[in-house]
Amino acid sequence: MFFENRLAAVGLLLIVGLVAFSFLGPLLHPTDQVHTDLANAYAAPGVEGYALGTDGVGYDQLGRLMFGGQTSLIVGLAAGLLATAFGTLWGATAGFVGGWVDAVMMRVVDALLSIPALFLFMLIATIITPTVPMLVLTIAAFAWLNPARMIRGDSIALRSRDFIVAMRGMGGGSLRAVRTHVVRNAIGTVIVNATFQIADAILYVAYLSFLGLGVPPPAANWGGMLSSGLSEIYSSHWWLVYPPGILIILLVLSFNFVGDGLRDAFEVRLRKR
Amino acid sequence: MRATIGRSSRAIGAAAAAVALLLAGCTAGSSTPEGAAADGSSVSVAMTTPTWILPISQPGKTGGENDIFGQALYPSVFSYDLGGEDEYNLDHEHSVAESVEVSEDGLTYTTALKDLEWSDGTPISARDVEFWFNLIAANKADWASYTEGGFPDNVESFDVIDDTTFSITTTEVYSPGWYIGNQLNSLTPMPQHAWDKTSDEGEVGDLDRDPDTAQDVFDYLVSAAEDPASYATDDLWSTVSGPWTLESFTPGGEVVLAANEKYTGADAAELSQVVFQPFTDDTSQFNLLRSGGIDYGYIPPNALDQQEIIEQNGYTVEPWDGWSITYVALNFANPESGPLFEQKYLRQAMQQLIDQESISEVVWNDAASPTCGPVPQEPGAAGTSEGCAYGFDPEAATTLLEDNGWDVVPDGASTCVNPGTGEGQCGEGIEEGRELAFTMTSQSGSTAGSRMMAEIQSQFSQAGIGLEIKEVPDSVAVSQVCEEGEECSWDMSFFGSQGSWYYPVYASGERLFATDAPVNLGSYSDETADELIDATRFSSDPEALQEYNDYLAEDLPVLWMPNPVNKVSAFSEDLTGISPQDPMLRMYPQDWTRG
Repeated sequence: MFFENRLAAVGLLLIVGLVAFSFLGPLLHPTDQVHTDLANAYAAPGVEGYALGTDGVGYDQLGRLMFGGQTSLIVGLAAGLLATAFGTLWGATAGFVGGWVDAVMMRVVDALLSIPALFLFMLIATIITPTVPMLVLTIAAFAWLNPARMIRGDSIALRSRDFIVAMRGMGGGSLRAVRTHVVRNAIGTVIVNATFQIADAILYVAYLSFLGLGVPPPAANWGGMLSSGLSEIYSSHWWLVYPPGILIILLVLSFNFVGDGLRDAFEVRLRKR
Repeated sequence: MRATIGRSSRAIGAAAAAVALLLAGCTAGSSTPEGAAADGSSVSVAMTTPTWILPISQPGKTGGENDIFGQALYPSVFSYDLGGEDEYNLDHEHSVAESVEVSEDGLTYTTALKDLEWSDGTPISARDVEFWFNLIAANKADWASYTEGGFPDNVESFDVIDDTTFSITTTEVYSPGWYIGNQLNSLTPMPQHAWDKTSDEGEVGDLDRDPDTAQDVFDYLVSAAEDPASYATDDLWSTVSGPWTLESFTPGGEVVLAANEKYTGADAAELSQVVFQPFTDDTSQFNLLRSGGIDYGYIPPNALDQQEIIEQNGYTVEPWDGWSITYVALNFANPESGPLFEQKYLRQAMQQLIDQESISEVVWNDAASPTCGPVPQEPGAAGTSEGCAYGFDPEAATTLLEDNGWDVVPDGASTCVNPGTGEGQCGEGIEEGRELAFTMTSQSGSTAGSRMMAEIQSQFSQAGIGLEIKEVPDSVAVSQVCEEGEECSWDMSFFGSQGSWYYPVYASGERLFATDAPVNLGSYSDETADELIDATRFSSDPEALQEYNDYLAEDLPVLWMPNPVNKVSAFSEDLTGISPQDPMLRMYPQDWTRG
């Protein structure tokens, strides 16, 4: 069903391609992404053996895109999955238990949702030197809110279903109900949401890096490269602007296509008869 | 000794500068003030919105835009021209003073004012300068330029001799060049006949002559000055002494100055109007400049390859060199890293890992030049590190570390393997196994600054010196002097994407590198340096400044860094009188003309 959605299939292929580009590419095209080389700064594509030129301090741009892609993918995937996992548990518990527990848990969610996430990211990144684990935790700390609300809705609908009532009637506990039945039956929603969370997390990494609050050099990521490249917008250094921007768009679009495909696959009503 | 501030024959060129931005030009559709005595034209200038109007600076209000704005309305007694031939670098054109004379015993400075009037027709008198002096004397702790023992502590007496003459007697004999250039530079006439009161409706009197009531007057004026939105409507600020009056101050931060029709000085405004336009960032300003929408702007360092296009669009492009130095502060007071910074060989090694010439050329697009010591090179001088005590030499840096007990691990962490204080040992306070790793606090928002840090980090890593770059906004980039008992954790701090320190006329180091100096951020302390700094204040020997420079250039109280120009200005070709731009970052739009 999933592969019948052409965009989803293309998205999956793109994700596989971008992962391979970022993690296997450096094996085929090894470059020094630690030491600067001012003597070769701003080399144009094809000059001096630099397929995609060099940046303002002499880093090989193609190698840096691979290097930067690793950060974008690792942070995006880890933060997206972490947020989805935590949000799922939170929402499922709140919805299933109900009552004052649900009220308190969801007011926490509402309160956190009322705070502009980007503002908090900037505040935290200013206080703490950004690292990959810190970025993952920071982004995940605010990205779990939407999955929590979504799964809570599913959980409320599921808790009155016969098989759960029967399980509880036979002495099954709430924890078992949430773990075994609620989460499993909401897995479609969870998976679809995870793909969008990953896409959002990748964008958040790009936002933060674009604002100069990403992982400091010599680390790199596509958002930071785009931010740096934009300062060259009026120069002839096009290779510093378009490639990271295009890669961000492709990656985010890919996850969204995959998410759409999964949603259609899980949604029985949308299946062709 | 007598210096007469006569009319200068030099062309009205004046200058400009400002920690903020620049630019000027005709603003399409801008109106000309009715009845202006000037030529009816208007010029738009890219500049940060001023936030202070009172000619008594306050902490946090010392930005260059405030100085430019303030000088347009309330020029100071002395202005300076580094390129002039005056003995004390006095700027004849723009000073309110006619002359200054130093007594034979070197203790008394007698100043005669020009025959000028306030915009309400009242003559500008020595009493107006006394009013300013009395207010800062009674409120010196709140004055941004105050340092203990400096002005006004070093004033024995202030005497009004006649309507336009006053004298200041000092407690000690100072170098006249230093005293006139660095101590009397803030003196500014303020309209005593309009401001010497404690409320809007209060009666004007001699309240400033009693220290208690002088504080009340000060509080009243400061309170009024803290509301920029009211600058154009508050009657207080309508009485001005400068060639400009404030026409409007919009909520969006645009400031419109109109030619002062009542101005009686020789440097009356030629233009009718100057509009200071604020921008949120370099890019938005540059976009407007490229479209020709502003008369006087600037090209960001990373867009300097656009110079030709800007020139084709009808602009003159000219670097605005500053009377400045740029450096990385080292925190000698940090209990962890301080003992490392105390080792001169380590400071020397780190300095030898900074390729100032290449950074200036590549990262700053030639809009920077190496800093070699605490006294700036001549503004605009071609920058090479030929004269620097320590040039870029990574191999020598590595050897130096190895010769002093360190196991150098390129791209790793160099460690102390020979602790102790003897020859060839790491030095006092450094234990065996200690790694060379520091955190550098640096300004965010500057592409060139970030790239420079990446380059330095890379070079340091090759000698096994770990450098973690932590970029923070401008407002917190300037690390604070560590007070006793407080946490003191920063290692290295850079805040010089437009130069770290702009000097007044006399580039002495009493505020920067003297023990316990207010801007001695890293708490550097050296007895010889203190003696040499004192010599620059008290001795008239021109060699004193050179000796001070040579010693600190070699002793490295900080790491010297490429010194960027303040801005690379771009102004409409039909604007004249802008060049040369003032290295001390003042701007005199009254000298500008069109056509």
